[in-house]
Amino acid sequence: MLSIKNLKASIEDGTQILKGINLEVKPGEVHAIMGPNGSGKSTLSKVIAGHPAYTVNDGSVTLDGKDLLSMEICDRANSGLFISTQYPTEIPGVNNVEFLQMALNSKRAYQGLEPLADADFKKLCEEKMAMLEMDDRYRDRGVNDGFSGGEKKRNEILQMAILDPKVSFLDETDSGLDIDALRIVAHGINQIMSPEKAVILVTHYQRLLDYIKPTYVHVLRHGKIILSGGPELALKLEEQGYDWIEEN
Amino acid sequence: MDAITRIKQLGMPRRNNELWTFFPVNKIPNILSADGNCRIADECSSSEDFANEDDFAALLPIVCNARELVKTIDDGENEMAMLKCNNDFGRTVLNVGKNAKASFEILDNKVMHEICAERFDINVAEGAELEIFFANPANDLPLTFRHFDIKQAAHSTVHFANVLQDAGIGRISARVELNGEGANFDYRSLNILKGTASKHQRLTILHNAPETVSTQFVRNILDENAYASYDGHVVVGNSCSKVNSSQLVNTILLSDGPSVSVKPVLKIYHDDVECTHGNTVGELDKDQMFYLTSRGIPSDKARAMLTKAFAKELFLELPEGPAKKRLMQVI
Ligand SMILES: Nc1ncnc2c1ncn2[C@@H]1O[C@H](COP(=O)(O)OP(=O)(O)OP(=O)(O)O)[C@@H](O)[C@H]1O
Ligand SMILES: [Mg+2]
Repeated sequence: MLSIKNLKASIEDGTQILKGINLEVKPGEVHAIMGPNGSGKSTLSKVIAGHPAYTVNDGSVTLDGKDLLSMEICDRANSGLFISTQYPTEIPGVNNVEFLQMALNSKRAYQGLEPLADADFKKLCEEKMAMLEMDDRYRDRGVNDGFSGGEKKRNEILQMAILDPKVSFLDETDSGLDIDALRIVAHGINQIMSPEKAVILVTHYQRLLDYIKPTYVHVLRHGKIILSGGPELALKLEEQGYDWIEEN
Repeated sequence: MDAITRIKQLGMPRRNNELWTFFPVNKIPNILSADGNCRIADECSSSEDFANEDDFAALLPIVCNARELVKTIDDGENEMAMLKCNNDFGRTVLNVGKNAKASFEILDNKVMHEICAERFDINVAEGAELEIFFANPANDLPLTFRHFDIKQAAHSTVHFANVLQDAGIGRISARVELNGEGANFDYRSLNILKGTASKHQRLTILHNAPETVSTQFVRNILDENAYASYDGHVVVGNSCSKVNSSQLVNTILLSDGPSVSVKPVLKIYHDDVECTHGNTVGELDKDQMFYLTSRGIPSDKARAMLTKAFAKELFLELPEGPAKKRLMQVI
């Protein structure tokens, strides 16, 4: 479904951050990406989404066979890609719910569908907010405006729930969440997940993987995936850190 | 000295006159003939003394014998009304009585003329509250002048707000006297300009009493070859302690074509005052654009959402009332 081949990308000064990433994600799979700070995990998500700070030097990224890298940022999203960034951006003055409605209707327009009626959107929004145990503050405020770290992460999952993407790339969604919030958010992700969809989770800790069981665990270091394995790999990393990998 | 004599004395506006620094003065039709006579009128119907009036735009309506409209709101009254400027040269005198509350919307001249000049003389008595605003639909009059002469007594408040989005050349000038203790003048202007629109604002705020407050907040959203300028003078007199004045001009350039000029001037003759000014020019925030588009929103819509948010923020702090309602609605 999502196929990343030999992806290389650099920043403006020419420094190469991604040095040939290969990743195949199939429907129904959950991939966990782990790795030391600064290894390129967040960069990978932003490059796939089309962030203007990065230049792709080589490789390809396709979603259901369609070349994502040649698409506009919005079309990548509307084709079924969802990226939750590590530090969600605050947009004061743009109402959170109006933004959600605009995003959903943009996707529908891309698919050739009529906009969802206001009442239907309201119902959908309420249902998803209830699933994530979110209160009215999320409705009345600007997008992430003054939200705490944990509130922002929960708001990201609300967007995921409403946009219902095929592939979600969630960058450290667990960091900043308290114990209860982690459980609620993980439960939400599991609810959204289905055999036709896939999730890529970037995380530093096993605790998220206790709730969302990964099919594969990958280690990203110095811009490359240097090791892949099953769920047991995450447990080993939690115990032993990353240094042993290079020793092998 | 009558207005005609005074305008002859001043001559046509020139760029080296500090009231007209940024204005494209060559676009003003010359109303003075080579021998220095006024082409428009020989005689002034008004016998007022204009010896101290320095602004050409303030004199023009008088020289043109503008029909005068006098509107008085009695002490303690409440009034909401519209001021229609139906002739090309208008003069409105507005007297707001003690502790009165008034809200006025200024409507545009709908008739196409080569030049349009209006003058407003506004006297606000003790404790009165006035909001005055305009947000006219794009009318594209080629050249418009709107001059305000505002005098405020103690503990009066004036909220003056406008949205400019037509394609012509325009100038708003205001001379505000804060003559009584605690008087408060709040100015908010939003310029959404494109094409060859050229909009200029020249404010002089005189803090003539202690504890007077003035705020000037201007936001520009400029595209294509638009030009906006803001020239704000604040003068704090020597017996005026605890004056507070702030001026902030924020500009977003949507392309490489538009330009903006900002000139804050502070003349402060007292130590115990707080005066600030600031000026920012930038593009739309790249991370915000990325965030919205990465959720599937096309970039033109995302840009519109962000500029709208930037625009709305300017009027959020206005008191709930007709001005806020109307200005928010046009954005
Ligand atoms: N836009 C940028 N400008 C400059 N340097 C960048 C930029 N983006 C990424 N980098 C650099 O690239 C490297 C990888 O960064 P990235 O954020 O992808 O790491 P990460 O694996 O997500 O780390 P963490 O676990 O700390 O979140 C870092 O050295 C970072 O400083
Ligand atoms: Mg990261």
